[in-house]
Amino acid sequence: MARRSPARVIGSRLLQALPVILLATFMVFALLKLVPGDIAVTLAGDNASDTRIAEIKKIYGLDRPFLVQYGAWLGKVAQGDLSQSLLTGEKVATSIGRAFPNTLLIVAIALVLALVTGIPMGVIAAIKPNGLLDKLVSMIASLGVAIPGFWLAMILVAEISLKLNWLPATGAKSFSVSPVEAVRHALLPGIAIAAYGMADVARQLRGSLLEVLSSQYVRTLHAKGLSMSRILWQHGLKNVSVNLFTIISLLVNRMLAATVVIEAVFAIPGLGSLIVRGAIQRDFPIVQGVVFAMVIVVIAVNLIADLLCAAVDPRIES
Amino acid sequence: MTQTRREAMALMTAALTGAAFGGCAFAQGAPKRGGILRISAPANPSSLDPATGGAGSDHAFLFTMYDTLTEWDFETLKPKPGLAESWSFTDPATFVLNIRAGITFHDGTPLDAEAVKFNLERNKSDQKSNIKADLASMASAEVTGPMQVTLKLTTPDAALPGILSDRAGMMVSPTALKASSAGNVTRTPVGAGAYSFVSWADGEKIVVKRNEKYWKPNRPYPDGIEFSIIPELTTGARSVTAGQNDLIYQLPPRQKAIIERASSIKVFNGPTLYVFQIFLNWAKPPFDNIRVRQAFNFAIDREAFVKAALAGLAEPAYMNLPKAHWAYDKSVAELYPYDPGKARKLLAEAGFKEGTVIEIGGYTDQDSVQRQEILIEQFRKAGMNVKFVNAPIAEASAAFFGPEKRGSGLLAAWTGRPDPSLTYSLMFTKDAYYNGGRAPVPPELEAAIRESRASEDIEFRRKAFATVQRIVMENAFVAPLAFQFELVAMNKKVQGYRPNLLGKPKYDDVWLES
Repeated sequence: MARRSPARVIGSRLLQALPVILLATFMVFALLKLVPGDIAVTLAGDNASDTRIAEIKKIYGLDRPFLVQYGAWLGKVAQGDLSQSLLTGEKVATSIGRAFPNTLLIVAIALVLALVTGIPMGVIAAIKPNGLLDKLVSMIASLGVAIPGFWLAMILVAEISLKLNWLPATGAKSFSVSPVEAVRHALLPGIAIAAYGMADVARQLRGSLLEVLSSQYVRTLHAKGLSMSRILWQHGLKNVSVNLFTIISLLVNRMLAATVVIEAVFAIPGLGSLIVRGAIQRDFPIVQGVVFAMVIVVIAVNLIADLLCAAVDPRIES
Repeated sequence: MTQTRREAMALMTAALTGAAFGGCAFAQGAPKRGGILRISAPANPSSLDPATGGAGSDHAFLFTMYDTLTEWDFETLKPKPGLAESWSFTDPATFVLNIRAGITFHDGTPLDAEAVKFNLERNKSDQKSNIKADLASMASAEVTGPMQVTLKLTTPDAALPGILSDRAGMMVSPTALKASSAGNVTRTPVGAGAYSFVSWADGEKIVVKRNEKYWKPNRPYPDGIEFSIIPELTTGARSVTAGQNDLIYQLPPRQKAIIERASSIKVFNGPTLYVFQIFLNWAKPPFDNIRVRQAFNFAIDREAFVKAALAGLAEPAYMNLPKAHWAYDKSVAELYPYDPGKARKLLAEAGFKEGTVIEIGGYTDQDSVQRQEILIEQFRKAGMNVKFVNAPIAEASAAFFGPEKRGSGLLAAWTGRPDPSLTYSLMFTKDAYYNGGRAPVPPELEAAIRESRASEDIEFRRKAFATVQRIVMENAFVAPLAFQFELVAMNKKVQGYRPNLLGKPKYDDVWLES
């Protein structure tokens, strides 16, 4: 089989992404129009009469047919303009540009924490299956899966912020202005999201490692006289790295979703808070813009994961 | 530390008296300039342009940047001079405003009669203005002197001084408005208030800094204010106890006990016009029958409701004005004592079958549901089977007040208006949006509401409002429940905060201890 160049893989992936973006934004747009509640009522203010609301709909073009409104939005996007908030007039691209780094930092911290703790736990558990350490790891992992992130978040705030005063309880700081402060603010939300990730990484890694370690070539390696640690780190981990990349890409997507709740607990102005505000106020350009950005991130993460998998495992590329 | 409003006022009076008799009687020392006041605000503003915005929560930001033609007394909401140093009705349909000399907008534009005329005309007729109705009685605004504007009215309107203390009286720089391509200053507010605009990051932060040329002597004290927008109130409260913010307003009552555990925090509360109430649709059964509406009102144990649902931080409501308001009428408050027996009797007279389901709309949040549970039990004791159908605020309101006309009532709230005539005309006239059924009201009610605007004389108006309130409550067009107290928590370095009856915070005299 001919080996496809990474450029072609990326190109075809981007082509596949187009229908995904169209479908996702269209569905969200349709959902926003289907749920009751109308931004025209908000726009019209406190004492609005029915005629005033009708007038507002006309001014903002909200009286046009559903498909025309979606088409107008799409047309603007095609020209690189995510349009602006109906309510406050802020450019959606500006809102996203400001919110995205806050969310990204939390997810990055969560991912690093999940890997740094989850990988050693998975390895330790796999070395002696059903041993004491394995049971301990599986207990911690079960807790990590079972504990809801928002609850853990509130406990962390109560103990670490309010009682010990070590880390700030709310808000976010810009990474470019003050990296240390930014990380301090993102640490607790990062930990809250990481708990699930850690558990997931540990369990999945243990499973795949056990499979690899029980395979015939590992028996051969043992027979060759290789030490357990060399087998593990050189051969074992390399062989489960494909699984690991897949786990990571799923994890990133899941963590992005988790920020919606966690950002509310910590009052972090990130993508999650942005989409919640947009949805509650039916400010659809915001919701559409965030969904658009999220879809692109998810597609990019999956693409990177695929490329990495192909790089470590030559069998995958076709 | 908790201070009730009365205690706070007593303290303030004592302090002021002391100040008059020889200087620094403030226990905390004299007000100091400097520092940044950091506030946790519950909602992103809908707009920073007073004419195009719509949310009642916007005022907390707008008041810092825009001064109003008239202001109100914190305790009673009586209008008092603001940018207009005086006003008068030369005849019932002519209203003359005398503007204070020497004031400029933040951009240096003089605030004169021309600027005021420009603003009033814009508020009245700009396409995107949401406050056209506020100035419905204004036929024209004329400049009758460099500092004098005369309004010709289509009908006598004594509510104007009150109305001009709100959005309609917030003066925006005409230069800024003319320079804006969209014709509004939604994102670039320029007013003549104590603070000028610095930045607004949607859903995140609003920053304002001291207006060095502000017309009130020595105000404001802080160098600026930073509003962090934190919709989750529990999180907002935590940001104050943890020291990231200095002050949070509009806390729900249940937060009081929690936040008081933090020793570094002091809490202020006082009555406001914000009233929890059940709007009724009297265009259809069962509330098209006056006896059923009256029974509904007799069935509510308001004292118990305040204790159970609002942690005691509220005043039982028997009409749409609280005790502290200048137009409160005691005799109306005695119309509906808690009397389930009487309610049952009225229901029997009305031929209402016990146990018939009455569907009332409501909101889905925790506090709302708790209020509903208490009410369901109270209505059950009077033989009424009330069922709440909940939805998010925007949906529930639209379903009840909009064309759908869902349910027989809506458990919601009414935020006060600076002049009570607005409250009544917005809810109890035939075509008012907040008259969910758009059903007619007795002609004498509409006449009484008009009458309340006919003269500026406060005694005259008080009597007129007594009539309005009596007709509304005798007809039981609404079931008022309780006036929520304003609950504001701040750390001890914040001084000089005063609650106000409108319940929308103003930070006029606030200063920061270093």
